[in-house]
Amino acid sequence: MDLDFTAEQMEFRDEVRTWLTEHAPTEPRPHLDAAAMREYDLAWQRTQWDGGWAGIAWPERYGGRGLTLVQQLIWYEEYARAGLPSVDACFVGLNHAGPTLITTATEEQKNFHLPRILRGEDVWCQGFSEPGAGSDLAALSTRAELDGDEFVVTGQKIWTSFAMIADYQELLVRTDRDGAKKHHGITWLICDMRSPGIEVRPIETIEGGAEFCEVFYDEVRIPVANVVGERDKGWRVAMSTLSFERGTAYTASQVRLSDTVEKLIDLARERTGPDGRRPAIADDELSRRLATARAEVAALRAMTYAGICRNLRSDTPGPEGSMLKLYYAEIAKRVARLAMDILGADGLRATSRWDRPFGWSGNYLYSFSTSIGGGTSEIQRNIIGDRVLGLPR
Amino acid sequence: MDLLSSADQLELARVAAEFFTEQSPIGAIRDRRDEPGAVSRKLWSAGADLGLLGLSAAEDIGGAGLDLEDEALLFRELGRRLVPGPFLSSVLGARVAALGGQADLARSIVDGEVLVGLALRRDGEPGGGGPVEGTFALFDTPDTRYVLVADPSGAGLLDTASLAEVQTTECIDPGTRLAYGRADGVVPLCWVPAEDDPIRSRGLVLASAVLVGIAEAARDLSVEHAKTRVQFGRPIGVNQAIKHACVDMAVASEAAWEQTLFAAISLRSGRADAEFQVLAANVVAGRAAIDNAAATIQVHGGMGFTYEHDAHLYLKRAHVIEQFFGSTRDQLDDLLSQEAAQ
Ligand SMILES: Cc1cc2nc3c(=O)[nH]c(=O)nc-3n(C[C@H](O)[C@H](O)[C@H](O)COP(=O)(O)OP(=O)(O)OC[C@H]3O[C@@H](n4cnc5c(N)ncnc54)[C@H](O)[C@@H]3O)c2cc1C
Repeated sequence: MDLDFTAEQMEFRDEVRTWLTEHAPTEPRPHLDAAAMREYDLAWQRTQWDGGWAGIAWPERYGGRGLTLVQQLIWYEEYARAGLPSVDACFVGLNHAGPTLITTATEEQKNFHLPRILRGEDVWCQGFSEPGAGSDLAALSTRAELDGDEFVVTGQKIWTSFAMIADYQELLVRTDRDGAKKHHGITWLICDMRSPGIEVRPIETIEGGAEFCEVFYDEVRIPVANVVGERDKGWRVAMSTLSFERGTAYTASQVRLSDTVEKLIDLARERTGPDGRRPAIADDELSRRLATARAEVAALRAMTYAGICRNLRSDTPGPEGSMLKLYYAEIAKRVARLAMDILGADGLRATSRWDRPFGWSGNYLYSFSTSIGGGTSEIQRNIIGDRVLGLPR
Repeated sequence: MDLLSSADQLELARVAAEFFTEQSPIGAIRDRRDEPGAVSRKLWSAGADLGLLGLSAAEDIGGAGLDLEDEALLFRELGRRLVPGPFLSSVLGARVAALGGQADLARSIVDGEVLVGLALRRDGEPGGGGPVEGTFALFDTPDTRYVLVADPSGAGLLDTASLAEVQTTECIDPGTRLAYGRADGVVPLCWVPAEDDPIRSRGLVLASAVLVGIAEAARDLSVEHAKTRVQFGRPIGVNQAIKHACVDMAVASEAAWEQTLFAAISLRSGRADAEFQVLAANVVAGRAAIDNAAATIQVHGGMGFTYEHDAHLYLKRAHVIEQFFGSTRDQLDDLLSQEAAQ
């Protein structure tokens, strides 16, 4: 066992670090204006592509670098250390549509979409959740009727992040309503968001964020050629999409969390604490919570590393990814709350998590999503209980 | 970078596990409750013959020369099976003897002839190699010739017989022998400054591994019970209150284990943030062990409250080991004063 990076990997780290200091965007992300946000995220992705940093662990024939998850990790670590904004609007394309296409799509689909994602040409969004199908995703009812070589889609999706600026969507639809089992008859489609019959309405989030949407489909025509995997068997594809989301997709957030904790410790050193005299860090309760956060993010990182070592031996992450996601969500929420307790009344000022150097109240409000998005913590516990521990259902 | 166990490591853990399961069943803790020593000499010698006391010791003192992370794997098994006896202090004691110029003593500790107990400082200033003063909690000292004292400044061995006012007390854990005593200017037989070798940090790593083992065993006990105990016509594990409690135990164990390995490798390879990693491991492992053991009592209902059941044995041992080299509370204060992790 070792924690050492090879000489080659260390050189890679140096290159990343140098490149990031020279090319990272310095302007704050325009998080309130959808169009500007799209432009910002795609431009940054394009810059990464031009620098040769897009798709580090993606196969070379689709435009990636063909390196391993270790290099991907190094990139995330340096990225977090540089305090750079998360890849928000590009998240779905890079972290779950992309990996799903790589393992499941046809050559034609891969050749078309993967390079476009990497080059920062397209924004993808995820059309899984519906008003009647959240945790119980298989209850989804947006229906697709076959008409010649097209599906005609009618229904509604909700909580679709970035739908208002997306080019494509990973869309789950029901193609068979007669099957006895609700997991059968679901199909994973690539939906062009500019198709006629799609209407996107924004939903404001608790932190005032502008990325949430609901999407309505009124007889939207989608070519059969856009099916990913097999028709009616999209549930398996969707589960692999989610395992990517729960497995490797959060590596960046996990890495960023340790940076957040260190910033918070600095803050507690600078600020006067609850007694109005000594720095916050001299307060026993706050200091122990900070130290606990340090210990927990260290363990989160060790788990992330171990997960990467396991992933290097198998392509699709297993249900263990749910453990990481669950642990991450709990710590992220505790850390965000701790910031509010350290700031006291100063924490009441409305901020955005995109503010620099740090928008603590925005971060706090956003933290509530970590145990909801991508499958709630309760659902992760069900998955771990059933599939890792083998408990009875 | 590789955090996964090799085939050799898995084999080592398997052999140790098999040995403990056969030779040291958990029920023996109850049987030996009233014996002066928590562990029999027979078991101790058999363990020594198997090489369990010298895994990381140098070959010239009879050890196998393996790494700290290999030893962590062994101590995790010790924790899982609640193996009694002064293993941790003897293994560290052999190292202190070897590094402190007492090769013969080191050899006889590795051979299982000489046992070393643990003296945990309750008050008094660390002496830094000079005469040792202060009162100590003494763990598993019956049958030992020496006790290990490990302060942040270094670690040394004191003659067990040189301790004064030793008062034997019943420990909450029937698998641990507890006493309190004082050292009045006792000159250590040998002393290893922390700069030369971080004995206390090693101890924290191995204690963390024991705690992880306890956390995992409590998880497994709970999962098994959740699958088999039937109420309202169905196994209790179908209920999320029970299922999710088991999952929380699993996540806590997993996080604690990966961090313990991370810490072991950091310390062994001399990473700059090794101390940070070690303290972090001890914090998460200590919490996982106590929380999981406490939760398994709840999962077991009335049965979990009986002396006959094993659940309380995990809880009690967890509390004992959590105190080794300073409690979680102490580690938290130290952790916050470290530089940020690398
Ligand atoms: C920031 C954010 C971004 C998102 N982005 C997207 C996106 O881009 N695309 C997309 O498709 N979806 C997205 N979602 C939606 C997300 O996947 C769902 O919100 C989530 O799966 C929960 O579904 P729900 O909201 O319907 O809640 P419900 O399923 O109604 O759950 C409500 C509560 O009941 C609990 N619950 C439900 N079932 C069980 C059960 N069996 N056992 C125990 N407890 C249960 C839940 O844990 C939760 O606490 C996003 C959500 C958030 C917060």
